[in-house]
Amino acid sequence: MSNCSSCNVSCHQSTNQMYARTKEMNITTIFDRYQDQQPQCGFGMQGVCCQLCSHGPCRITPKAPRAICGATADTIVARNLVRLAAHGAAAYSHHLEEVAETIKATALGKTPFKISDEAKLRDVAGALGLDNSKETNQLAGELADAVLNELRKSGREPLALLQAFAPESRKEAWGKLGIIPGGVHSEIRDALTKTMSNINTDPVDLLLTALRLSIATGYMGLVGTVTMQDILLGSPQLSATEADLGAVDPGSVNILAHGHVPLMATAVLQAVQSEEMLKLAKEAGATGIDVHGSMCTGQELMQRQTTTAQGFKSQTGNWLHQEYTVATGAIDLVMMDMNCSIPGLKEVADKFHTKLVSVDRILRMAGVEDCVDYQPEKAAEQAVELVKMAIEAYKKRGNNIFIPKNKSKVITGFGVESILGALGGSLDPLLDAVKSGAIKGIVAVVGCTNNRNGHDSIGVSLMKELIKKDILVINAGCMSSAAQIESLMTPEAAELAGEGLKGVCRALGIPPCLNFGSCVDIGRIGVVVTAIANILGVDPSQLPVAVSAPEYLEQKAVADGIFAVAFGLLTHLGPVPPVTGSPLVTRILTEDVESLTGGKVMVEQDPVKAAVIIESHIVSKRKALGI
Amino acid sequence: MKGFVIYPERCNGCLTCTLACAAAHSSSGDIIGAMLEKVQSRIKIIAVDGFPVPVKCGHCEEPACVDACMSGAMRKDPATGIVSNEGNEQSCVGCWMCIMACPYGVISQGREVPRTAVKCDGCKGRKGGPACVEACHNGALVLEDLEKAGESRQISQYMKIPAKTG
Amino acid sequence: MRYVIIGNSAAGISAAETIRRLNPNCSVTIISDEKHPAYSRCLLPDFLAGDIGEDRLRIRSRDFYQDHNIEAILGKKAMGINTETRHVVLENGETVPYNRLLIATGSITTFPPLEGMDSPGVFGLRTLADARNILKAAESARRAVVVGAGLVGLEAAYALYRRGLEVTVVEKAPQIVPQQFDAIASHVLKKDMENEGIRIVLNTGIRGIAGPTIWERLFGKKGKGVLLEDGGRLKCELVVVATGARPNTDIVKNTGIKVNRGIVVNKYMQTSLPDIYAAGDVAETVDIVTGLQSVTPIWPNAMVQGRYAGCNMAGRERKYGGLIGMQNTVEFREVPAIAVGLTQVNADGYQVLSHYRPENNTYKKLVFKDNILKGAVLVGDIANAGVFSALIRNRTDISQIGDRFMEEGFGYGNFLRKAVRGFSAI
Repeated sequence: MSNCSSCNVSCHQSTNQMYARTKEMNITTIFDRYQDQQPQCGFGMQGVCCQLCSHGPCRITPKAPRAICGATADTIVARNLVRLAAHGAAAYSHHLEEVAETIKATALGKTPFKISDEAKLRDVAGALGLDNSKETNQLAGELADAVLNELRKSGREPLALLQAFAPESRKEAWGKLGIIPGGVHSEIRDALTKTMSNINTDPVDLLLTALRLSIATGYMGLVGTVTMQDILLGSPQLSATEADLGAVDPGSVNILAHGHVPLMATAVLQAVQSEEMLKLAKEAGATGIDVHGSMCTGQELMQRQTTTAQGFKSQTGNWLHQEYTVATGAIDLVMMDMNCSIPGLKEVADKFHTKLVSVDRILRMAGVEDCVDYQPEKAAEQAVELVKMAIEAYKKRGNNIFIPKNKSKVITGFGVESILGALGGSLDPLLDAVKSGAIKGIVAVVGCTNNRNGHDSIGVSLMKELIKKDILVINAGCMSSAAQIESLMTPEAAELAGEGLKGVCRALGIPPCLNFGSCVDIGRIGVVVTAIANILGVDPSQLPVAVSAPEYLEQKAVADGIFAVAFGLLTHLGPVPPVTGSPLVTRILTEDVESLTGGKVMVEQDPVKAAVIIESHIVSKRKALGI
Repeated sequence: MKGFVIYPERCNGCLTCTLACAAAHSSSGDIIGAMLEKVQSRIKIIAVDGFPVPVKCGHCEEPACVDACMSGAMRKDPATGIVSNEGNEQSCVGCWMCIMACPYGVISQGREVPRTAVKCDGCKGRKGGPACVEACHNGALVLEDLEKAGESRQISQYMKIPAKTG
Repeated sequence: MRYVIIGNSAAGISAAETIRRLNPNCSVTIISDEKHPAYSRCLLPDFLAGDIGEDRLRIRSRDFYQDHNIEAILGKKAMGINTETRHVVLENGETVPYNRLLIATGSITTFPPLEGMDSPGVFGLRTLADARNILKAAESARRAVVVGAGLVGLEAAYALYRRGLEVTVVEKAPQIVPQQFDAIASHVLKKDMENEGIRIVLNTGIRGIAGPTIWERLFGKKGKGVLLEDGGRLKCELVVVATGARPNTDIVKNTGIKVNRGIVVNKYMQTSLPDIYAAGDVAETVDIVTGLQSVTPIWPNAMVQGRYAGCNMAGRERKYGGLIGMQNTVEFREVPAIAVGLTQVNADGYQVLSHYRPENNTYKKLVFKDNILKGAVLVGDIANAGVFSALIRNRTDISQIGDRFMEEGFGYGNFLRKAVRGFSAI
């Protein structure tokens, strides 16, 4: 019987300490608000609440099996799901557009950036049918235009990136279902139009729409964005850094790069290198200026800390950590880009001196007055402005600072290129280990973090269970931060793995959980899986691999998850998605879809049980492949 | 005799009953008005292990709150069986003795009128009966013949705490 | 059948109502030395503070006695009982015959045997007359001293403060409400009162109360002085003594009825003599927490005991299983607090769970022994207090619940959920 079991809210020690601190300071944070929201409405949880028209809200009950318009639970659930996926697709396309516009401006010499991965530029441009013998900047400009056109073109013209990069067997399967998408914006428009109150009310067609939209997201928002970012900022390189709050130095001006789009953050990292900024910081009494990463922006930066993101200090944590990071009292400025800056952040920041600044034209938060909206052409000046704001904020910093001691080592920068580099130019050593059974299979544990079943607890437990079973884990998104803080991304973590995986990790000097980066880097995982499938001459659905989003949270993850199913992979979800109110939709997603795409959804809240199911899936795939 | 019966396994936590309760006790009489007036609900939906559990007054045979009430405001109406601290000659002074006494934890400190205990008044006199029962879509809150419902389904039987106080 | 009840408060009224409910035709007589219809002593501080008028002290309707066909002999003190002839003797010599008699005479304020306790301007607070006297004295007083920081003392202090007096509370113990609350809860409540402006002096007993000095009297001043053990003297015009009370057993003197601290009764609320019952503050019953025979002088217990006595007197046998002797609620300014059962334990074999959040004035403490809840203190957040009371009263085996007790919102829902766990949830 402990006196304060309620403070053990996370699987991370530092988070629990920070939560106790916020409690003592009477600051309401996400764990408190989660409790305040309980119990939550079962209609919403089951997805059978429809609020589209003013007759509503309608909810499906035994007493009222149809909405006022006649819609069934199946229609409402499928329609809600498509809307969630459309949100995710839209957000990813915003990210891609920002990157493409930046490449365009860079090609004209108007930004602080330069094309960093020329080889990739030429490869991709060639694959898309451009004349890749042109001068670098000109080619980059043309590629950016081509990608922007892919975003904006009609839904009837098949996506060029899909044609260039998807396995043939996938194209065939999708072609049969009529779900090869066209321009992303057109797909989003059609999906949203279909989900208006009374346009498309056929649950099966709506689910196909969700698949189509997610495939568009997969090849543009994920693969496209990752590829374009690599071209602009450089492909990931293996390197080491630190994670968790213990890496925050209270003596420095601390800037937190928080969000998903690493463009402004990269410019800020460049700006803080200048003598002038350092001088200003020292005059203010600080020892230096540190840029820390939070969430996916941090993952993006650390992947490239040996190239364009030099000087990156450390990763503080994931989505759920943001309030607690600010509550250290040692963060001077949070630059928030694109998504995942929660409104609660402002309340915590107000208790300290911390300045919140939007650096994305689409991000606004009540009470946040400072907006330095990223413009490629002005990025250098904007970065200096942000650093100066951080130094000004530092001057107002109070004495109430608490930084947990915990910090952990992180190996980062995995991707097709860096793995090939490490393995001497071929994936064979890895594939041989898979064939021999030393590595039973590969599971991408990706996506968000979530308090529903305990913050990061489900994710970290699942990773530990999987590596114990000799299953190699690759991470992206908030799950990367979770693994980093628990030291699972160190070669030493191999000790936690089964004998087979342990041997491979030791031989190659790699961690049992490989950091592929941010949530958009799920695209990078897609590229690796495609590469492996191509080498082995099989379809992705035949590989001993699976995907898990053990703590999926928001709409981008919905699009990711559906893409994984479309891609032919077993897709584990921890939290129950809001579809259980429709037996039809539930059955299609968890059973029937397998015969169409090879993939399916598996929902299991218990990480131990989930690992067992995933393992048996992998074993059956191995058997079918005869390995 | 009819009485409140709770079927927690049917509740899905939609909280419609709490809105209906607030509406029934608001001056506007509707849900939106009640939310503007910040009327408090007299039925609570508590989350236990993530599952919603409705908890409300069962209007005990020998109510501990009535014994505990030192102002005489809390009474059980012999005719209707409703236990309430409203509408009697004596009025509540907010000593919270009833909160201390109620084995079900269904009496709250008043928010709108400070120093007044707030509890289910059985929606006495309301056309259509108790608002929460009327609002429940899931059949989790019902008025049933207590004998037919079986002893085990009655609110007061769940905690091995007899409604009787001695 | 003639039923006679001596005492016109919680136990007496509750018994009278019960007898009348079970037997519509018998004769029921209530005797009280107070003139007023049944009122709530617990509300006297609210009356003193000016929150409620005298009419709101009544616990039953205007026509209660008439409606229930109860003969009320009010304003006449019962002086003795002739158990041979079965008569109650009143102060004017009149006698009231009974077949069955209930003694529900409550308790009376005890004054410490010190100098000046009977001087003018020194009051207890137990009856409406006391409250009226205090109010009258308060009109011309500027400063009040309350001796004793128990519940009655603090409530009196708060009430006088609200009447505009400067109030100092003197308490011998190192904390306020020492009988009911532990040190932390007392600290929170003390802070709450002090923030309001009431002065509290702890660890200080009194030597007596001095009247005005000759000089003061010469100049027409009425000042009194509370003499402290440490030699100090608190000047004031009004003193409320709230250092304790005892069961009012005077009436059974020389009757042979067994008296310990209070009148000893069995499970049917019967005294040692046939057809004579006792209930309420004056009676000694089993305290379910300690298992010992003791007085349990709180309002709810008096109501319940009165009902049991009434049942048994009316011939409907009903066994009293014991109640929790100590149960109290307070809210002075803005922090509500509840204490039930054993709240301070030093002996071995007890487990204590507690959680104190000074930043928002909340405190929760639970005391267990052998998987049985024995006591609870809730400060700030008092919702669900009754669930803990019930667990204590029923001696429920809580081993299944583990440490979930300390979870915010732990309550009846946990039991309801448990009861239906066999069902599949939606």
